[in-house]
Amino acid sequence: MVRTTVVGSYPRIGDSHGEQVLRRAIARFDQGRATEADVRDAEREVTRAVLREQADAGVGVVTDGQVAWYDSQSHIAGRLDGVEVGGLLRYFDTNTYYRQPTVTGPVRWKAPVLLEEWQYAQDASRAPVKAVLTGPVTLARLALDRHYGKLRALAVDFAQALAEEVAGFRSAGARHIQVDEPVLTRHPEDLSLVAETLDALAIRKGPAELTLATYFGDVAGIYRNLLELPADVVGLDLAQGAKTWGPLSKHGSEKPLALGIVDARNTRLEDPKALAARVSALRDSVDLERSYLSPSNGLEFLPRDTARRKLSVLVAAARAVGGGP
Amino acid sequence: MTALETTSVGSLPKPDYLVRARAQTARGKMKAAALRRLEQRATAEWLAFQEEIGIDVLVDGEQYRGDMATYFAENLDGMEVSGLVRSYGNRYYKKPIITGELRRAGPISVGWFKFAQGRTRKPVKGMITGPYTMMDWSFDEHYGSREEAALAFAALLHQEARDLEAAGAKVIQVDEPALATRADELPLVVKAVGIVTKGLDAKTVLHTCYGNYEEIYGYFNRLPVDQLDLEMSNSSLDLMERFRRDPLKKEIAFGVLDVHSHVVETRAQVAERIERALAIFDPQKLVIDPDCGLKTRTVDEAKAKLEVMVQAVRVVREEHGFA
Repeated sequence: MVRTTVVGSYPRIGDSHGEQVLRRAIARFDQGRATEADVRDAEREVTRAVLREQADAGVGVVTDGQVAWYDSQSHIAGRLDGVEVGGLLRYFDTNTYYRQPTVTGPVRWKAPVLLEEWQYAQDASRAPVKAVLTGPVTLARLALDRHYGKLRALAVDFAQALAEEVAGFRSAGARHIQVDEPVLTRHPEDLSLVAETLDALAIRKGPAELTLATYFGDVAGIYRNLLELPADVVGLDLAQGAKTWGPLSKHGSEKPLALGIVDARNTRLEDPKALAARVSALRDSVDLERSYLSPSNGLEFLPRDTARRKLSVLVAAARAVGGGP
Repeated sequence: MTALETTSVGSLPKPDYLVRARAQTARGKMKAAALRRLEQRATAEWLAFQEEIGIDVLVDGEQYRGDMATYFAENLDGMEVSGLVRSYGNRYYKKPIITGELRRAGPISVGWFKFAQGRTRKPVKGMITGPYTMMDWSFDEHYGSREEAALAFAALLHQEARDLEAAGAKVIQVDEPALATRADELPLVVKAVGIVTKGLDAKTVLHTCYGNYEEIYGYFNRLPVDQLDLEMSNSSLDLMERFRRDPLKKEIAFGVLDVHSHVVETRAQVAERIERALAIFDPQKLVIDPDCGLKTRTVDEAKAKLEVMVQAVRVVREEHGFA
């Protein structure tokens, strides 16, 4: 049977009172009525709930839902030397915003950024928890660079810093590590820079399985080159990036893939059997036993109840591919 | 038009009594009619404030709207509203879902326009959330094509614009904050907004914000409106240089207040931003306003910012001898 995983983020609140613990804690903190420790407790409570929802749905390799991340950029970049966190900017075409990291000096790693969050989640989960990092090229592209003046130089230094994170995950025993490079769907010309910087991460990963995730669009034009990159698994967005179906069907892949077939940008629920049929058609050209099915990107752009239903669709589709119940 | 006309972009913060009332209504503890009276009170208060400080073109402050897209979604057939999704930080909103063929059962914002215009002799803007933004900010479970959905919104928002005009709106603003989302869809923005504004006698305004203007600059003159309303207080000098090289053939409403900062600008700061604009734009075609809606500020912050803006405009008008 094809395995299942998720891409990273998960809705941190839902519509019921009980699902709004974190929202209330942050609001109280903003009013000076709660401490940072209270917010941390709420984040952990929500992280446990997110892990439980993935487990209940039957997802194989889960994530912590990035519940503690303010956004995909500032949460990591903001804790590196040489970076300050600036104003709000639109994040791709998601109608969400991120605080733009401003690079004011040489980017250097100083202390683990994500390790504690990952460790907390893994301790609370029976399923393996995938450690997820925003990739160096995406961080470099989305930052405001006031120091380097060259994308490559900045991306290379981000990669050096992230390599320390990867080494930390390895030491702690993480079996799955994912590097997100959504910019590849907008800047396919960054492929060689992604190759160079991913190399710096891959050599530190040890036995962990390294996934390169692409999303928010297609990678049709660079599909075959993408498979050459130093990752064990390549993640594809096959919903918003439906164009990638073309080269995927034509060329297949010797490398395991994470097939993002469940649309994480639309509330419409897919028919698991129809999804399974499309995946099954790849059986001769893709090693489905070693591949994953996943949502097309992080689930946090959906309402919580829809995210839960999408996970059920995902697992049902994987079972249908496997010929199971 | 007067030199350096002043206006606001649209939303203004809700006073505490209205925030509490909305929460009570959501929990079923207050009736809709009681909430509406408080929305009217807050609208009247904001109109009185704008008149008092001397703003030229007024807004109703959108005291009756939660989110700008959701408000229209709640009033259109073929749409539902989803559960909460995150915008940024601790801010969440209910995102619209297109579930069927879009239809407008009747006027949406016209009642509030009439209420506001009936309270002042100054012009009040009619405010429409634009067709491209409505499409981009909704989950589409029905059309399956971004163009088809945007054009469906455009057709019925044109009817809304017609009704606003018939109700006396001299200025109609189309809000397209999503405009800069995808450069490859700018032709669709032009087409959809063109359907909304076609044949209107009212002055038309397009507001957008928080995008990479340099990428979309080539489209500014093609947008089928009389005035472009842009967030400018955070924009780079490079963009100003671009305006100098490649002049805008429309009026510009030039944002001089950062709406995401609690800090109230000084009169000198705002005056300096206005001077920067005057170095490029004809004062008769230059409108001064905040970057965006002020609804995320407190009432006091919003009032202080608008007062500083109007005072700065007065100072600059006097210095330049504008009437």
